[in-house]
This record gives sequence, C-alpha cells and structure tokens, in this order.
Amino acid sequence: MKVDYRELVHTDRVHGSLLHDPEIFADEMERIFVQGWVFVGHESEVKNDGDWVKRQLGNESVIMVRAENGEVNVLANRCSHRGTALCWEHKGNTAFFQCTYHNWRFGLDGGLRAVPFPDGYSKPKEDLGLDRAGQIASYRGFVFVNLDGSAGWIDEHLGPAGYELIDRLCEMSPSGTIDLSKGWIGHRVQSNWKLWPESDSDGYHVGFVHASMSASTDTYYDDVAVGADAVKSSRAVDYGRGHLELDWRPSYKKELSWLGVTRERVKEYYSALAQRVGNDLAEQMLWDGPPHAFLFPNLFLGETVIAIVEPVAPGEMIHHHTSVQFDGADEAFNERLLRQTEAAVGPASFITTDDAITAERIQAGVSGTDTSWSSTSRGWIDLSRGLHREEIDEDGVRSSDASDETTNRGFWYRYLDAMTGKGRH
Amino acid sequence: MTSAELRAEVEDFLYREARFADEFLLEEWEALLTDDFHYWVPAGRLEGDPSKQLAYLNDNRARVATRIRQLQTGKRLSQLPNSPMRRVISNIEIESTDDEEALVKANFVIYELAAQSSGELRVWPGQAQYRLERVEGNLRMSAKWIELVTAHAGQRNLTFLI
Repeated sequence: MKVDYRELVHTDRVHGSLLHDPEIFADEMERIFVQGWVFVGHESEVKNDGDWVKRQLGNESVIMVRAENGEVNVLANRCSHRGTALCWEHKGNTAFFQCTYHNWRFGLDGGLRAVPFPDGYSKPKEDLGLDRAGQIASYRGFVFVNLDGSAGWIDEHLGPAGYELIDRLCEMSPSGTIDLSKGWIGHRVQSNWKLWPESDSDGYHVGFVHASMSASTDTYYDDVAVGADAVKSSRAVDYGRGHLELDWRPSYKKELSWLGVTRERVKEYYSALAQRVGNDLAEQMLWDGPPHAFLFPNLFLGETVIAIVEPVAPGEMIHHHTSVQFDGADEAFNERLLRQTEAAVGPASFITTDDAITAERIQAGVSGTDTSWSSTSRGWIDLSRGLHREEIDEDGVRSSDASDETTNRGFWYRYLDAMTGKGRH
Repeated sequence: MTSAELRAEVEDFLYREARFADEFLLEEWEALLTDDFHYWVPAGRLEGDPSKQLAYLNDNRARVATRIRQLQTGKRLSQLPNSPMRRVISNIEIESTDDEEALVKANFVIYELAAQSSGELRVWPGQAQYRLERVEGNLRMSAKWIELVTAHAGQRNLTFLI
C-alpha cells in the first residue's frame, strides 16, 4: 500500500509509525538516500592517490577513493559482473579494485581495466564499469553525493546556510582547513535513524536527559541549554532545507566555553588563528566557537565533533563520529579535541549514551503504532512547542527559544518535501 | 614470593575487580586504582600511542573519577537501572613481573542485559591487559586496557565498567 506522507507529517505533530514502519523505511532509503544529496565523507580521509574508505549510504555500500588525477570518486562497492562487494574493510590504499570472484579489475575511476579470458566478451569494456554516484560535490573537503543523479544541483540542497555552517567550523582552524582522518567510531543504537537528527538538534532535553553530566562535572551545556534562562537566550534555528542549528552564541558566558579551557591553555592556537584572520575576528571566534548544527539528512556538525547518521533498519541505526582536527593547530590542541570528543560522543561517552537510551525508549514507545491510526488520532508525536512564538525573518529562517521545537519541525518539513516532492500542509 | 603465590594473588585481584565492576560496587572498584590509573578502550587493536588516537574510552584518573561520579548521581539514564551483568575471565597470563609491577593479560566475556531499554542480551568478548602495582603491600591497578573483538565494528552503549 502506498503511504500518504501528508497524512502522517503535520506542522505541529508527526505520526509514530514514521519511526518503525518497514515500508516507510524502504521509501526513505530510495527517496532520501538515493534520490537526494547525502554526506559521504571528507577529502582528508583520502589524502593520497589510491586511498579509499567504505561508506554505507542507506542500502548502498559505496567506496570513496582518490584517483591518480587527484579527483575523489564515489563508486558502488559492487562488482559490475556478478555483484560481489569489492571492499570489506573500512579503508585502505590500492592501485585498483579487484573482485575476488572472477578477478575482474577496476581502476580508481570505476572503469573496467581487465577481465580474465576476455575473448568471451563482445560487449565493450566501457559498458562494464562500476556504478558511480550520479552527482558528486565537495565543499571545503566535505563530499556530498546524489546516487541517482536526479536531485537538483548541490547549491539547492545546501542553500546559503549549509555553506555558512561549514564555513563557521572551518574558519576556526588556523589554516582554514580541517582534517577528519582520525577514524569514525560507530555507536549502534536500537532506534530509527530519524531520532538522531532530532536529538542532535533538540534543545529542550539537555537539562533532563543529561542531568547526570551536569551533576558530575562542569560542562558548557549548563550555560547554554540547562535552565529557563539558558534555553531562552540560546536559539533554535531552522534555516530551511532541513538544515538546523542550536545557536549557543548568545548564551556563552565566557570565551572558549565550548572548549572548556582558558586562553592560557591554548595560546599557540589563538596566535596561529589570529595570524590568519586578524585579532578582532579571532577574539570573536573564541567566544562563538564552532556551530552545533545538522545538515539534512545525515550530517551533524557538533562543535568539534562531526557525526554521520546511518540508517540500518527501521529500528536500528549507527551514529558514526569523528573528532575535528584543525590543520595548522599545535599537537596539544588537537589532542585536546580528541579527548573532548571521547568525553562527549560515542558508546562510552558521558553525553550521547543517554541520548541513545532515550532514542531506544522512544523506539519502544512508538513501536506499536500503525499508519492507519493517524485517522483515529492515536500514536501522534507532538512537536508544537514554541509554534506561537517562532519568528520568521525575510529569508524565511525560523528561530525561537532553544527549548522550542523549531529545529525538530524543520527536519520534518524537509522530510515531507523529500518524501512527497511537495511542500508541507 | 613464588610464581604460584603471585599467580594466586593476581587471580584473586582480577576476580575481585571483575565482581566489583559487575555489581556496580563503584567505590570498592575505585579503591583498586592507583592515582595514575589509565583506562583505555581503543576502536582497534591495543597498539600505538593512545593520546594520538580517537578511542571509545581513554580516561586518565580524573576522568575515571567523573565517570564514577556520573554513575553515582542516580540520574544516569543509560544505567537506570544498572545492567544486570556477569563476566568470565580466563586465559590469564602473567607476562612480566618484578617486585613492584606485573603485566597481566586475560580473556573475558561479559554478558550484559540492556535492562534500560530493549532488554537485549549483549555479549562483549575481548582481552584485558592490566598493569598491577604493589602499593603498601597490596596490589593496585595502574592501567586497564581493553581490546574488544568487535573493536572495529561499533558498539552498543558501553556505560558500565568494562
């Protein structure tokens, strides 16, 4: 049966069945992860010719590889002969990809180079290359693909805000470039993938879900997201296109709050940064820090952490994260970022472990809901908080108190567009 | 001390440490640590310099104290309730030893019930490497490094003491 998404996604509420229905999950893998733009990886992960990493985009396993000409290609991890996966480790370096079934050999551009006993084929080799991403785009090293090539161009997907959020992170680096090659850590969660865009950009829960963190250590989240004053000064922002931010900047009470240190401890970083951007801008950046933002559908910019949301099944997902490393910053500074990442994010961290448990509890709560219930008013998830006080500026950017569900609604607006090809109602 | 006596003492220590962890006897567990204790669970093999890598867990003594404090707040959602769990330790090898220090390797399997959410039984196999030191006559743990069989594969919540 065809799902009517307009019956399930409303401005003020969405239906619980969206979080576990297998038919909906299958639709999402096609309409969002094949027909839309998704984040795949960062160019710093494949610095040298022949470097490759394996990624999962919805149901599709892909290889991101740097070819001999320096270009980054995204290829299907699937032999064009009989479908065998070509790579099974996470990353590596190679001059070519060779299938282990019949030894077909492919170049780093996906082209078929050689087959054993070629006289058995009358087809031209050009017709037998690996499937490639239909569109690929890279911005400041962030690589995005649209697998089937049917989405509009990348500017329509990212919009001005998508670029600006990436800029705000990269500009914090003394060199203006970041490195994401410390490896991705997977956090396996028994929840629907869509609970993570929501959790990563939800400013309402911090004082409750993360109360144990506040109670056991000093954290900047206390200043920006815990208590009535903080959630009023920080902002929940929906830039449109499903790109969201919890803007902590108005709430930081001291410089470098986002790093949890005083300037004394990061003098070298500051002077390297100021050398490139000037003192005034560097001063401001120490206060502002990098953004806490989500780019639809799978990229989280979490201050000095980057995460990828990977759907596995309707009730199973992986939150992969890595630590931002600033090119041109001193070693001690980048090690500080590693330690901060370990504390904040991942299976043994102090923070996102409690988000994981919350997502699993939501999954348990909604797992009985059925799409047919939408007509009987059962099984709805309310997302109306702050609707009455949301502001919209001349560019259509919506913002409200950080505790308001402006960001959550922003995700679902974009979701409905993706699933229907039309606007919300 | 004969090697048999040392082995007996090391085994006693490891079993006690394991039981304290399994039963969330947090203060008792913390009392087994030296002031410079290092706790490490890498996302791969136990090799290279921990400070240069991104790990699942890389705690100095201060951070492990925070970890324990967080569990003691009574608000740690991912351990409310605490996971019912038991671990089995085997293949204990005492690698090197002098009067003050012993390096020990052991295999373990932990069975953990995710009582906080799905009720899934989670199995955590791996190897633990311990550095034990004698402090005022008693063994104390100055390092516990864990290599998970599943290190490269991502993990469920790991919010107990592994």
